[in-house]
Amino acid sequence: MNDNHMILHGLAIKKHAAPQEVADITGLDVETVARVLAEEEVRRRVVMAAGKFMLTGPAQVALRAEYSRVYADQRASIAMDEAYGQFERINAEVKLLITDWQTMNVGGKRVPNDHSSADYDRQLIDRLGALHERAEPVLNRMAKELPRLGVYPRKLIAALEKAEDGAVEWVSDAKIASYHTVWFEMHEDLLRILGRERIE
Amino acid sequence: MTNPSQRWITQLDGSDLPDKALIGGKAWSIARMMSLGLPVPPAFVVTTEACRAFLRDGAIPAGLPEEMATAIACLEQRTGRTFGHGTKPLLISVRSGAPVSMPGMMDTILNLGITQQTEAALVAECGDLRFVRDVHRRFHELYSHIVLKANIDSFPPEGDAASWDRQIADATGAGLPDTAYARLMAAVGAVFESWNSRRAKRYREHHGIAHHLGTAVTIQAMVFGNRDDNSGTGVVFSRNPLTGDRTPFGEYLARAQGEDVVSGKFTPNVLSTMQLRVPNAYQGLMAACVTLERENGDIQDIEFTVQNGELYLLQSRAAKRAPAAAVRIAVDMVREGMIDEVTALDRVTAEQVRLLLAPRLAEGQAAQAQILASGEGACPGVGAGVIVTSSDEAETRAKAGEAVVLARPTTSPEDVHGMLVAKAVITETGGSTSHAAVVSRALGLPCVVGCGVAKLDGMGGRMVTVDGALGRIFAGQLKVVRPDETADPQLTEIAQWAARHSPLKVYRPSEAPSGHVIDLNAIDGGEDPKRLPALIRGYDGARGGAIASEEGVRAAVAEKLHFVVGEPVLPLLLAAVRAKASLNDPGVASGEAAQ
Repeated sequence: MNDNHMILHGLAIKKHAAPQEVADITGLDVETVARVLAEEEVRRRVVMAAGKFMLTGPAQVALRAEYSRVYADQRASIAMDEAYGQFERINAEVKLLITDWQTMNVGGKRVPNDHSSADYDRQLIDRLGALHERAEPVLNRMAKELPRLGVYPRKLIAALEKAEDGAVEWVSDAKIASYHTVWFEMHEDLLRILGRERIE
Repeated sequence: MTNPSQRWITQLDGSDLPDKALIGGKAWSIARMMSLGLPVPPAFVVTTEACRAFLRDGAIPAGLPEEMATAIACLEQRTGRTFGHGTKPLLISVRSGAPVSMPGMMDTILNLGITQQTEAALVAECGDLRFVRDVHRRFHELYSHIVLKANIDSFPPEGDAASWDRQIADATGAGLPDTAYARLMAAVGAVFESWNSRRAKRYREHHGIAHHLGTAVTIQAMVFGNRDDNSGTGVVFSRNPLTGDRTPFGEYLARAQGEDVVSGKFTPNVLSTMQLRVPNAYQGLMAACVTLERENGDIQDIEFTVQNGELYLLQSRAAKRAPAAAVRIAVDMVREGMIDEVTALDRVTAEQVRLLLAPRLAEGQAAQAQILASGEGACPGVGAGVIVTSSDEAETRAKAGEAVVLARPTTSPEDVHGMLVAKAVITETGGSTSHAAVVSRALGLPCVVGCGVAKLDGMGGRMVTVDGALGRIFAGQLKVVRPDETADPQLTEIAQWAARHSPLKVYRPSEAPSGHVIDLNAIDGGEDPKRLPALIRGYDGARGGAIASEEGVRAAVAEKLHFVVGEPVLPLLLAAVRAKASLNDPGVASGEAAQ
C-alpha cells in the first residue's frame, strides 16, 4: 500500500478536509499529506477550495477499485470477519443511543432533547461509556488485523472523556470529532476495507 | 430503626433518615419516601463504610456475611417470603448508590434469588412458566454482563438455566456461584469494585469528589406486577409532561412487569383502567403524586407496581418535560406558591424557549396544501426550497443562492456536504436511527425519513415545504410564521421575572439605545464567540455577531456590559440569569449542582 492510496482513502473518509485532518486519521505526517495532495491536485484527482480538499468523481471510482487488492488480507481474515460481526451489533446500539441522545421520550412522545435535564444527559453518557467498554476489545482485535485502525479507539476515548467532563457537544456534534463523528468515520472505513454496504 | 449490632448494614424502614454519605443517594430517597409514609418495597443498605473497608483490605469485611444473613432474615420477615429456598421465594434487586451519582458505577441486578430450585417454586406459585423463565433468563443476562463482565450477545429465550449456565461457563471459564447467598455477596463485591472503574475515577477527579467516599449497595425486595388481575405496573407523571396540564398523566398495564411499560407507547387516560381495577392502589398513587411533588417542589415521574392490589412505589424523580410544559409548570408552580421566581427561572432553559419560538407553518397552511409525500418526522422544523436529488447539486445551487431541499433514497457520509447547505432533508427509506435522521438532528435541520421506496421519484426541481414535526412534504412554498414572544402571557410573565434577575438588559433591535455600543457585525471575528470577551471589553452594550447566543451573553455578563441587543429577548435574558449564577458558583455551569 502506498502513501497516495492511503491519503486518498483518508480523504474519502473525511470527505472534505485539510491536510492535518487526513494526517490525523491515516497516521502519516502532515508534510507528506500536503505534498501528496498537491500532486494529486495537479493530476485532477482532488480539488481544493479554501484550504480543504475533496476527491473528484473519477478518483472516487478509482479508489474503490483498489480496495479489494489493498485489503485482500483483511477480507480473507476470519478474525476480522468475526470482529466485524460483533462491531455491527454494537453499532446498532450506538445508533439507538445517539437517537436517545438527540430525542427523548416525554410521556410517550419523542421530542428533541433540549439538554434541560442534566440527569438524562448524564445517564446517556454513562451508557455510552459502558458501550465503549464493550466495543474496545472488538476494536482492538480489528486493529490487530490492521494496525492503523488503532487510531479510532484513541479518538473515541478522547471524545468520550470530554463528554464525561461536561462538554456534552462531544457526544454527537457533527462539526467536531465527537464520539459519533469518529464512530461514523470508523464505520465508513471498515465498510470500505471489507467491501460491504451500509445497512440502514 | 438501625440495629446497633449491625456495623456494615442499615435497615431502611422510615423510622429515621440516615446520613446520605453513609447510605448513598438511592437508599436515601427510598428512606425518604418511607418517612413520608409512602409504600416502598422493603430494603436495606450495605453502607459506604463497608465499601471503604473492602477497598482498603481488598476483601469483603469481616462480619459482613453474618450481618447480611441477619438483614436478609429481616427482609424475609417483612415480606413473608424466603431467600434462595422455600415455597414462596424472595427475589431481590442489588444496586449501587454513591452519595453523589457518577458514571461507571455498577448497573442494577434484578431477580437475584432465582435458582433452579426457586424457579420451580415460583412456577408453582404463579402458574406462569414462561414469565418465570424470563425472570430467570434476565437474571443470567444481568449477572453475566455486570458481575462476570462476560461478552455474551444473548441468552436464547427458548433455553433454560442449565443451558445459560453452560454459555456463561464457555465464555468465562467459570460458572455462576451455586447459592443465592454466594451470588449476592459476589454482586456486592462487584458494586464495590465499580467504585474504582475508569469512568468513575475520572469523573471524581474532574469534579473534585474525594476518592475515599465509597459507594453503598441498596438491596430491595422485588415486587411483581403480573401476579394476578389485581396486579400491574405503570408510570405516572404528577402533571402532564407534554403540556404542563395539572392532571396526573400516565399509563397502567394490568398483569405486566416494569420493562413492558418503560419501553413507551402511552395512551392518555389509561390510568382510568387502574382506577376501575384497583381503586385503593389508584387513590394511594394520586396521593403520592401530591406528596412527592410538594416535597420535591417539581413535577415527578413515578414508577410503580401493584402486587395483589397493593401499591408499591419504585422510583420518583423530577420528570423530563417538553418545552411548553417547562414554561407552564414554572409559571403555575410560582402561582401555587410551590417555588420562587429564581427557581422557576432555573427550570426553563434558553434552548427550550428558542424551540417554542421556532418558525412554523402559519395557521391553516397544512390543511390547504397538497401533500406530495409523507414519512416519519425525524427532526422538527420547517424548511422550503427546490428539490435536488444529489448532494453535489445541492452544494452548487445553494452556493448560487438558491434554497434547496435534498431528497435521497438514503443518505451516507458522502451526502453530508449537501445536507450542510440544504433547508431540509427527505429520504425514501430508513427510520429514526438512520444516517439522515441522526445527522439532521445534529445539524438542527428539518428532516423526514422513510417516505417509501420510489416515492420521491421525479420530484427533482419542484418547490416544496418540508415540515419535520408532521413528517410531511407539501407542494409549493407555504407561509411560515415566527411565534411572537410578547403575545404569550406565560412567556411574558417569565420575561418579567428574568428581567428582574438578569445582570444586564436585553433590547430588541428597534428599541436599542445609542451610546457606547459595539456592532460586532462590523468587526472581523465578531461572529466567533471565543473572541468576544476581548472585543466587547469596556463597552456599555453590544449588538450583532455572536452576541445573541448563550456564549455571547455569558461573555457580556462576565465583561459587565449594561445591555445586549437581540431577539427573541427571553432566551437571552435566561442565558444572562444563568451566566450570573454560574459566575457566582462555577459548579452550576457543569450541571454538578443538579443532584
